[in-house]
Amino acid sequence: MSDNKKPLAKLLIVDDDSDIVQVLKMGLLKNGFSVDAFTNPQEALQSFKSDAASYCLVLSDIRMPSISGIQLSKKVKEVNPNVKVVLMTAFEMRDNEFSKVFPSIRVDGFVQKPIGIKELTDKILSLIGDTKNRKKGDEVE
Amino acid sequence: MKTLVRTESKDSEESIQRWFDKEVEDGENTILVYPNTQTFRQIYTKYVKDHLVSARKQEVEEEENNNNNNSSRDNNEQSKSRIILIAPFYETVDSVKNHLSAFGVENVQGQIDSGSLVMADSFHSFFPDSNGMKKLIDSLSEHARKEGRPGVTAIVDVGFFFLFGGDSKAADLISYEASLAPKTQDGNVKGISCYHWGNYETLTERDKELLTQGQKKKLLEVREIRNYS
Repeated sequence: MSDNKKPLAKLLIVDDDSDIVQVLKMGLLKNGFSVDAFTNPQEALQSFKSDAASYCLVLSDIRMPSISGIQLSKKVKEVNPNVKVVLMTAFEMRDNEFSKVFPSIRVDGFVQKPIGIKELTDKILSLIGDTKNRKKGDEVE
Repeated sequence: MKTLVRTESKDSEESIQRWFDKEVEDGENTILVYPNTQTFRQIYTKYVKDHLVSARKQEVEEEENNNNNNSSRDNNEQSKSRIILIAPFYETVDSVKNHLSAFGVENVQGQIDSGSLVMADSFHSFFPDSNGMKKLIDSLSEHARKEGRPGVTAIVDVGFFFLFGGDSKAADLISYEASLAPKTQDGNVKGISCYHWGNYETLTERDKELLTQGQKKKLLEVREIRNYS
């Protein structure tokens, strides 16, 4: 299989703010990722469960009604323990606070909103560790 | 008592404000279920506009009248507004400020500086001390009495209790609501616990019954018509 035909690194983005979802989706698509994006965490979870092995990273807001990012993280890791999870928030939420309240949850990273696409792309790449899975010739902008 | 308002009905905004003003009395703790963040924004914005902005206008008019009559004001307390606490969970305090400003509340910072408007991130008012919100409201209640204000309206999003999920979620929430009496004699706080519909519907009917303490607490459900079959 040539580089061109390798599957793209597939991301699941979840945020109840549709503007944020759109901006992140467009930016990450442009940077060579395959992106499924949802504003409804229930629908996102359904999508994940339907093809869990295909996702390499879930990027989710923390404070969402019905299923919070913390609960979503737990559920996707139950289905696919290998998937990386990055939680994002516009609020101050210190890592030590998080680990104190929810020590059992395994999260691979946090990002503070707003975040630039380049910074986010770097963060994702550092976690999935495989730039080859992005489309050949794509540049981080 | 349960009241239902559909957001797409013509006078839904007025119905919601009537509920705040006429049905919820000082000293009462109540529950409001809202369908989405946008509607929650509309609710608190309308409340702030109706109370703080109109109180400010009245204050200015009274000052002008007093100046014209060349007399001192002896009914200083009458024009003072309630203290309004907004404690959001699904948006930041800055977002609330921006929204209020964008939708016609002039000088939001001035209202905050005067103590009429208080904003606090719901998460940090419940965590790490789950009694933190009650302590904040108690201090505002005391402050209102000292300043001769009519009272406090506390609009508190309880989304915090749904953040971590798990079996303890409902128990913690019911315990919190149980600590808020449906009605306190001589109380000066209108307490509104606000639930996002997406969270509220994850509770069992039994849990909902316990939250309202056997329907002793007043409940306002704001629903969209499209949610109805």
